[in-house]
Amino acid sequence: MAMQPHSKKRVCYYYDSDIGNYYYGQGHPMKPHRIRMTHNLLLNYGLYRKMEIYRPHKATADEMTKFHSDDYIRFLRSIRPDNMSEYNKQMQRFNVGEDCPVFDGLYEFCQLSAGGSVAAAVKLNKQASEICINWGGGLHHAKKSEASGFCYVNDIVLGILELLKYHQRVLYIDIDVHHGDGVEEAFYTTDRVMTVSFHKYGEYFPGTGDLRDIGAGKGKYYAVNIPLRDGMDDESYESIFVPIISKVMETFQPSAVVLQCGADSLTGDRLGCFNLTVRGHGRCVELVKRFGLPFLLVGGGGYTIRNVSRCWTYETSVALGVEIANELPYNDYFEYFGPDFKLHISPSNMSNQNTPEYLEKIKNRLFENLRMLPHAPGVQVQAIPEDAVNDESEDEDKVDKDERLPQSEKDKRITGDGELSDSEDEGEGGRRDNRSYRTPQPRKRPRLDKDGSTIKDEIKTEDSKDDVKNISSVEEPKKELPPNP
Amino acid sequence: MVLAERSNDVRNGKRSRGPSPNGHGSPDSSSEDENVIPFAAEKIRVGRDYQAVCPELEPVEQRRPELISDRALLVWSPTCDISDVKLDEYITTAKEKYGYNGEQALGMLFWHKHDLNRASMDLANFTPFPDEWTVEDKVLFEQAFQFHGKSFHRIRQMLPDKSIASLVKYYYSWKKTRARTSLMDVVSEGRNATSSGTGKRESGAASEPGGSDKDSDNDEKGEGGGESAGKWCTVCGILCNQITAHNSQKLCQACLVHARRTGTMRPLCGPSGRRGPGSKQQRYKHRLPRGIYINHDDLVAMATGPQPGDPPQPGLINHGEAMLKAMDREVISLKRQVQQNKQQLSAMKRKVGDTGVEELRPGEPPAKINSRWTNDELLMAVRAVRKYGRDFQAIAETLGTKTEAHVRSFFISYRRRYNLDAMVREHEAERGNAHHIQAGTTSTESAETGDNANNGTDSSQTTNKDEKMEVDSEGVAIGASAEAGGPPTTPPKHKPAK
Repeated sequence: MAMQPHSKKRVCYYYDSDIGNYYYGQGHPMKPHRIRMTHNLLLNYGLYRKMEIYRPHKATADEMTKFHSDDYIRFLRSIRPDNMSEYNKQMQRFNVGEDCPVFDGLYEFCQLSAGGSVAAAVKLNKQASEICINWGGGLHHAKKSEASGFCYVNDIVLGILELLKYHQRVLYIDIDVHHGDGVEEAFYTTDRVMTVSFHKYGEYFPGTGDLRDIGAGKGKYYAVNIPLRDGMDDESYESIFVPIISKVMETFQPSAVVLQCGADSLTGDRLGCFNLTVRGHGRCVELVKRFGLPFLLVGGGGYTIRNVSRCWTYETSVALGVEIANELPYNDYFEYFGPDFKLHISPSNMSNQNTPEYLEKIKNRLFENLRMLPHAPGVQVQAIPEDAVNDESEDEDKVDKDERLPQSEKDKRITGDGELSDSEDEGEGGRRDNRSYRTPQPRKRPRLDKDGSTIKDEIKTEDSKDDVKNISSVEEPKKELPPNP
Repeated sequence: MVLAERSNDVRNGKRSRGPSPNGHGSPDSSSEDENVIPFAAEKIRVGRDYQAVCPELEPVEQRRPELISDRALLVWSPTCDISDVKLDEYITTAKEKYGYNGEQALGMLFWHKHDLNRASMDLANFTPFPDEWTVEDKVLFEQAFQFHGKSFHRIRQMLPDKSIASLVKYYYSWKKTRARTSLMDVVSEGRNATSSGTGKRESGAASEPGGSDKDSDNDEKGEGGGESAGKWCTVCGILCNQITAHNSQKLCQACLVHARRTGTMRPLCGPSGRRGPGSKQQRYKHRLPRGIYINHDDLVAMATGPQPGDPPQPGLINHGEAMLKAMDREVISLKRQVQQNKQQLSAMKRKVGDTGVEELRPGEPPAKINSRWTNDELLMAVRAVRKYGRDFQAIAETLGTKTEAHVRSFFISYRRRYNLDAMVREHEAERGNAHHIQAGTTSTESAETGDNANNGTDSSQTTNKDEKMEVDSEGVAIGASAEAGGPPTTPPKHKPAK
């Protein structure tokens, strides 16, 4: 079978032409204008015409209070630059003022950002699209009753909550240079959402995201933090991203994925300190896309705006499976991209403080944690009847094994230890994911007690044969399973 | 574990709200950078006040996805009925003929349910929202920007009819295209003009959609404003409202700037027919750059047409402005074309791959035969002698830029300097060796010379001596006419002959 670097998917894109007009204030690094720049590039690259383009409704207060507290949203709705003085106390309470200034149209901005992510989640729920994109979203620092790190309303949490109506398990991946603390906190105690965040850690905003923060209560082991040092380059990033995500896919078996594509992890970012190129950043999108799950892409950080728009444009092209030229088309903001006017950027010569040993150590620690997960954690196995069989077989076709083979081979090359051979069966992992879209896989439970890759390899081979059997085994009642370790 | 120690620091107690480690300022982070990122929290909190409440999973049989509203308005959906080429054509027409942007054009097509013909016909019936920024607005904006920086609230006080959103939008499109200093001149000038009661200086040049670029600024200065008629620049002879005395000349702004900057009068190819009263006709040897012409009528149209700042005169079209707009559109269209061509080129390059081009080349491009020896060529030639010995034909082919005769003369002229004879000997020795080893059992010749490699060398040397003589006699004749290259800076390394 011919290798298909990109597979064609139905892509929906959410954008409101007003979003670029909001202005955080003089000297503030967050510039919503970057979303408009991205949009303009998409348009001139001819990618626009290949997607369904939606203008999202503004999210209502009702929608936002699905996560946020009522009084916080009420506050956001009423505060304006001209009445700020009346809200001094509340501003302190909700952490609005410094980082998260009150600016003109603040509430509308939140509505548009959240509206896009919620609408995108709805679209995925309706199975009317495979990939949804909202570059206006991704504001991952916002807390339930608190603004933080330029984020007021957490559109990601709202989107995931929407997805949870139709999906038993949702995976959240965060490649922003900052820790995705808002999302992690929101789902810290649930086993239905796994949050995986790759971020700079150590004397860095927001200060959370320790390797040992793994979730609490029922959500223990469902928060995965990959703390990184300055200077992550494409190669190192992929060397940690691939095994972790493969392992997470394999063990958690989500039925939908949300990827926060914060572009401040790019080289030369005004606030970031990584050394990724647009290609390396986009590689993460490509890798996640290959799992063939319903996929929500949101924006996030990114403070060197010309690179942000480059990055998100490229990632849109990856989502679409379309190759685009390195030469930028003429566009409204062409002068921003001088002097080279190219899409791709080169890494800087900054040193990478993440040694292979360091990354290896993190990886092993996280693998240990992931091993604690019951496979396909599930409540109410019996409550989830067979669903969308057609859809699934369709997916089976699309996600072809060959496509992922090189990826797993790369894994081997990068780390090549015994542990990693686990991720070899990532190909199967992907397929299992499709099955888990339908239902959790109780039969995999016994694997928990075992340890070591050889056993998993056996299971892997058995998996492929097992496909048909699985469907019949779905109805197995949960109580027969061995207890969790 | 290193990690653990590190993280302890971070997690101990409350972190003070200090600035974030923000050492990677990019060029974007100019003076506006304030490093304002405090650490807001240091620990994930657990409790009802912090976590989201997950909704129940809806049982499949209860799901009614078709009843859920999209919560978004579809403004475009892709179609495979229209080829990319046709779509591009349509968009280009809409852009260039009707002033749509790409999004509006596609919106129109979508409105007509992807019916290309109907959409094309309908294009003329709608005028996209015109650029609501008049020149006056733009100048005011710059003025305000000068005062207040990016405090759009304050800027708005000077432009009360604009929304903040509109200001922000304009700011971003203006930011990179502005020629700040020159525009500021205009502004200060504009202020002077205001005092005389005529209002802002206007010109068509500044009303181009993407803000003004440098050239148009100059135009602005040169041709701007026709209100205060009767003033002609004594250098360029163009009517303008702002004349400054300078070195016994009365200069328009453009000429003045030029004079101040360079100390000489502005070279000009102006309309010779029209001279202001009292102007001295000055002839300049300098011509306009090739391909640039000044059309007298255009200048007149530009200078005398009604200006946007004038009281509106219905029915009168501002020719100058229209002209500049059209030119601007043309420039943009050309820029677009340039980028498209670049994209196509790179796509073709990629398709061909790294080596593929070579195969497609129509043979070697006839290398220019040049009798002059460059250092590179000399180096190469010496190496070639080492490799091919006296096979001048082969050496010439290798070099590509020399004929066999050139190589011969090279051999003669540089024989001493590069110790070429030794090279040849080395070559022969090697060849002899190879020959010997290769032919070892079969060749009778090598059998004669025996197992000793030196013997082989000697024998080939002797044969070569005859050849050399020939060359010499020939070489003298050619060598006389051949131009010797400059002395090489680095003589090639080679083993000296024993």
